[in-house]
Amino acid sequence: MRGRTAAAAALLALTACTAGPSLENRGQVTASPGDSHHLTIGSAGFTESDLLAQIYAQLLNRAGYRTSILTVANRELYEPALESGRIDVVPEYAATFADWLNAKTHGADAKPVGSPDLDATMKALRTLAAPRGLTVLPPGRAVDQNAFAVSAGYARRHGLETLGDLGAAKLKVRLAAGDECVQRPYCAPGLKKVYGIDITGVDPKGVGTTQAKRAVQDGRDQMVLTTTTDATLDLFGLVLLADDRHLQNADYVVPVVNRSRAGSERVARALGRLNGVLTTKDLARLNQQVDAWRRLPADVARTYLKDKGLLK
Amino acid sequence: MPGSARSGRKTPGAGAPPPLTGTAAGAGETGAPTRTGHHNAPIRSPDRCNGPVTAPPDDCLARNEWICGAYLSTRRQVLFDAVVQHLQLTFLSVLIGLIIALPLAVLARRWRWVAGPVLAGTTILYTIPSLAMFSLLLPLYGLSAGLVVAGLVLYSLTLLVRNLLAGLRAVPEETRQAARGLGHGPVRLLLTVELPLALPAAMAGLRIATVSAVSLVTVGAIVGFGGLGNLIYSGMNTYFKAQVLTASVLCVLIAVAADLLLLGVQRLITPWARADRA
Repeated sequence: MRGRTAAAAALLALTACTAGPSLENRGQVTASPGDSHHLTIGSAGFTESDLLAQIYAQLLNRAGYRTSILTVANRELYEPALESGRIDVVPEYAATFADWLNAKTHGADAKPVGSPDLDATMKALRTLAAPRGLTVLPPGRAVDQNAFAVSAGYARRHGLETLGDLGAAKLKVRLAAGDECVQRPYCAPGLKKVYGIDITGVDPKGVGTTQAKRAVQDGRDQMVLTTTTDATLDLFGLVLLADDRHLQNADYVVPVVNRSRAGSERVARALGRLNGVLTTKDLARLNQQVDAWRRLPADVARTYLKDKGLLK
Repeated sequence: MPGSARSGRKTPGAGAPPPLTGTAAGAGETGAPTRTGHHNAPIRSPDRCNGPVTAPPDDCLARNEWICGAYLSTRRQVLFDAVVQHLQLTFLSVLIGLIIALPLAVLARRWRWVAGPVLAGTTILYTIPSLAMFSLLLPLYGLSAGLVVAGLVLYSLTLLVRNLLAGLRAVPEETRQAARGLGHGPVRLLLTVELPLALPAAMAGLRIATVSAVSLVTVGAIVGFGGLGNLIYSGMNTYFKAQVLTASVLCVLIAVAADLLLLGVQRLITPWARADRA
């Protein structure tokens, strides 16, 4: 047994010669905001994240930085890398990231800090991010949050434009969503409490999946849970109902940077140029070009930025 | 995930099935016939239309076909880079694996008591699921190619050590004694008699280790260093059929090519084996 562990330890030691930088040794809070010439932008591997990473990279390129993009499977992997400076810039979602950091700092049972109120969410997010050496840049106009869609015919028949209308119409609604929707305050319970919508059941078909949208298209369910940047709703004849009483969290797109490597005013200015431009609808259209038309995220991002005059 | 009704999109890996498949499948799975109308329909803000990307296209990419020439032509550079990364990761890990396995096998051959722990240890390493392996090595290596190489080296050990040891053990005792009788010292015995005779078994192990490394590299996609695995992974997330198929086929081609190459090398360096068979 001793020999076995010794052998394993020896193997680990031997293979460790190819070691990269340790995760704990950089990104100190005390360091002054740094301005590294080469920046690594992280993407979480789903389409919207890829697109935003490309957009950030091209804006930073324009501002004179050399950039590379690293795609990582999930936040559990890229957030520590962002703290350590292995990754310098990441596109994030204000409320979701605030809650994630909150859970990481205060445990999984901590009271959520993300809320429908953008200012409160940003304040909570910055309070959580600063001690980790992360700076959250100002949010823009684009929001990727949960949204509810019904079929266009159903909306027309009952005169629905908002979730408030649906509540007032006193209709019985079966909701296609993830099975966790039954408990989440932003889903079934919130729809009942805030909007007075009579949810008769949750059909567990997943968030925004093809099956879920088909179920609503065919009339088996009346409403589907999806996201605001879903660009495939048209294909299923679905329309979004506006969240007029602000049930959903403020999941605004925000760039999060490692302060000691990308905390400079120049980075903030380069990425800030996107804030007044990129809308939720734009993001949905960009998603569509990648997801439905299979264009390359880099090309889609470049065309968009040129189109908006942010890139020559 | 407190405070979010979203099942997985922004919290990828949260246990939900790949959430993006929904969005993408919505586009992809509706299939070509029904989609033509949408392709020709004007999109919401035609005033912003500009360049070839904004016009809804009608090609095999948009139709999400398994085999798609346009995929190959638009992704040439992406595919090339992925193949190069795949080859580098495979080559490096097998090479380092061999460098570590050789002394282990020789030691295990020399002292019987070493053999048990070494074989058990490397076999246990082999049973660690690859996702767990990369997670366990993450604190040591960070998000780097080194992480993937280290994981693959550990996996290659069991195959290489076992086969090297089997080759060395198959060297007949009489041969060894004859060599000693000729005045060979231990090092010379190893280099000029034992290792050449162990070559066929060792090469068999090397071939298996290489082919398995080619397929295991793909798991590196979770940390962004997975060669063709990066493409397979993102293609699976978005139901991108052409991408998944192309990358998988390339992966198989690399494995077959590497295997044939090693077979050729084996034939070159063990001419006596061929003479026997003839």
